[in-house]
Amino acid sequence: MNLRRVAAVASKEWREVIRDRMFTLLAFLLPVLWIVVFGYGIVLDVENVPVAVVDRDRSALSRDYLYRFAESRYFDFQGYVASEDEADALLEHGRARVVIIVPEKFQERLLGGQSVGVQTLIDGVFPLRADIVKGYVIAINGAFSEELVLEYYARRGGVSVEQAEARVRPVKLEVRYLYNEEVRSTWSIVPALVMFALMVSSPLLTALGIVREKETGSIYNVYSSTVTRAEFLAGKLLPYVAISSVNAGILWMTATLWFGVPFKGSLPFFFTASFVFVLSSTGIGLFVSLLVRTQVAALVVTLIVSLVPTLLFSGLIVPVSSLSRGPQIQGHLFPGMYYTNILRGTFLKGVGLEVLWRDLLALAVYAAVMATIGYYLFTKRPRS
Amino acid sequence: VSPAPGLAWQRVAVWWRRLVVMTRKELLQLFRDIPIMLLLVYSFTAAVYVTGNGIQSQLHNAGLLVRDADHSKSSRELVYRFQPPYFRLDGEIADPREGLRLLDQGKAMALLEIPPRFHEQLATGEPTAVQLLVDTTSAPQGLSAASYAARIVGRFGQEHAQAALGGTAGSQDLPLVVSDHRVWYNPEQDDAWFESISHLLRQITLFAILLPAAAMVREKERGTVEQLLVSPLTPFQIMLPKLLAMTLVILFATAVSLFGVARPAFGVPINGSVTLFFALTALFVFTTAGMGLAAATLARNFAQVGMMTLLVVAPMLLLSGLVAPMEAMPAWARHLMILSPLRYYIEIAHGILFKGVGLSVLWDSVLAMALLGAGMLAFGLWRFRRQFQ
Repeated sequence: MNLRRVAAVASKEWREVIRDRMFTLLAFLLPVLWIVVFGYGIVLDVENVPVAVVDRDRSALSRDYLYRFAESRYFDFQGYVASEDEADALLEHGRARVVIIVPEKFQERLLGGQSVGVQTLIDGVFPLRADIVKGYVIAINGAFSEELVLEYYARRGGVSVEQAEARVRPVKLEVRYLYNEEVRSTWSIVPALVMFALMVSSPLLTALGIVREKETGSIYNVYSSTVTRAEFLAGKLLPYVAISSVNAGILWMTATLWFGVPFKGSLPFFFTASFVFVLSSTGIGLFVSLLVRTQVAALVVTLIVSLVPTLLFSGLIVPVSSLSRGPQIQGHLFPGMYYTNILRGTFLKGVGLEVLWRDLLALAVYAAVMATIGYYLFTKRPRS
Repeated sequence: VSPAPGLAWQRVAVWWRRLVVMTRKELLQLFRDIPIMLLLVYSFTAAVYVTGNGIQSQLHNAGLLVRDADHSKSSRELVYRFQPPYFRLDGEIADPREGLRLLDQGKAMALLEIPPRFHEQLATGEPTAVQLLVDTTSAPQGLSAASYAARIVGRFGQEHAQAALGGTAGSQDLPLVVSDHRVWYNPEQDDAWFESISHLLRQITLFAILLPAAAMVREKERGTVEQLLVSPLTPFQIMLPKLLAMTLVILFATAVSLFGVARPAFGVPINGSVTLFFALTALFVFTTAGMGLAAATLARNFAQVGMMTLLVVAPMLLLSGLVAPMEAMPAWARHLMILSPLRYYIEIAHGILFKGVGLSVLWDSVLAMALLGAGMLAFGLWRFRRQFQ
């Protein structure tokens, strides 16, 4: 391999990138724009769920009970409605996601020491959110019941509330949240978005850059030149690897400085891993560009190959461990999953090579395989 | 007898013939692009199946480690209650540091610690506590795991208390608020319904923007657009067949996906009118395609279209309400997404398929989508005309 020729190809490619002003702008702008837009936009915290209420009892106790929903930050109180039909209409329009129906004799039965069933209608269109909302409702009902039961026991048994508590609730659960102590979804989503932004932009830039040469026919200059396959591929990919590596740094700064996500791991390890990841994602771009002949096809294929599996199967929104078999395999086929592990590990867990070596190794193998395939698929003697 | 009606009739006939011929040309061009066709087939069939089948957004199979320092009947009984589908017992460990290491590696999601003398304390009525360490690198799943664990431990404690207070204290005699839920529109909370339909909507949007933009720029790059321009066709007659052809193809793919994959495989309901769904899907595809065309006219080559499409498509896909509903978005995203036709289309699709509602409920979304689409289409046309003057 002649390094001067590599440098010549690289500088030619670099100029082409730079002179297309829109391309340059987008190449650097796009990843940052994405992490900012999605970091604010993908909200996985289930808060401010619009709730409407049918209160058939209209007693002091029912108001006290409903007040707990109104004051909770998880619910956004939309007000009282008169009948169940009106509540149905609100659910149909999507103006309320939850309707609580307090039955008649709510206060009378509870104060008399009897249980009351409170009906909750939950919009199930978004199953995960429906499930979390169900959890909130159960928790509020549980806390409310417990107070009533404690008072009831204390009154009936003539003991203090504390003593009654020990009898009614013998086991407590103490929960400690690890790594993301305040359980902010921003902290879990933003590091993964570094992966997403790089994983989509870097193969795309690469594939478009290489296919452009095929489509405009300037690749024939390369075929007839003294540049070898390896030299051409190395020089061609160099600018794109450089762009994406710089982007990795910019994205890291956005995550830590802009979003305030803690970075607990080692910076050199992070950048090494990011570089390896950029190599492998650029490799995907190369692979796609060798299979297709037009930029149209290159764009569509890279988008669909990188965007959708990355969005769904790389642990960005749903952890890979809770996927079923088929998607889990798909997840393992793309480098995004390994890099997500590395990102969450270095940002939130503060672990390094000792834990993440498998993921780093997978990325390195991926990059090597992609480069080898690219080398063998690229030929200076095109058929037909 | 004036010749005007005959002439007008002839004009309409010519116009119609041109439309048919051009639409046929677009379809042929698309069908001969083998990579794109393969991708289209994959995206609307296998991909929808895999997504619907595979994504479990609710807590599922969360790996649970146990450190049981008591090894008693009570502790075993408590641990036994952590059951699939929510939890998966990943075994017992002796050393808490071992547990932290496994959490670090992501091998397990939670660690339950039961203190020594657990059984004894329960039996004597002394208050006791078990500890749960949860990995919250994925926030919703972590919260969900904690919430399920709290429910399990709460139920366990309650039953114990009732047993200790004597069997007489049934829940009928206690002032409890009993939760009675009904989850509507998806009573079993089947993730497959939501995920397969979401994926279908994603694919419709992606292809609706990409296919016409691709077709347009291809003509520009190859120079065949010049041939079209010297033909008697007006710019409108060049653009309309492109939109028509792509809309037809996408509608057909949607039908295959809905009736060939989503319904037989997952039993996704169609509670509303099928005709209405396809009519509004056609409207969505047609108008969104206008957006792709407008983007194509602004760009000089394909690389630029690609990047611009990404600027518009990716935010649209993520922020329009496919991942979380609109009301969960921050205010600026809600305002921005007023401009996204997908936002309205999601309301429409969920409304017709899951909720079974009709135009009487959806009219505002339909109107917004139609106005937005008409605007984009007009902009695309205007750009297209201007480009060649």
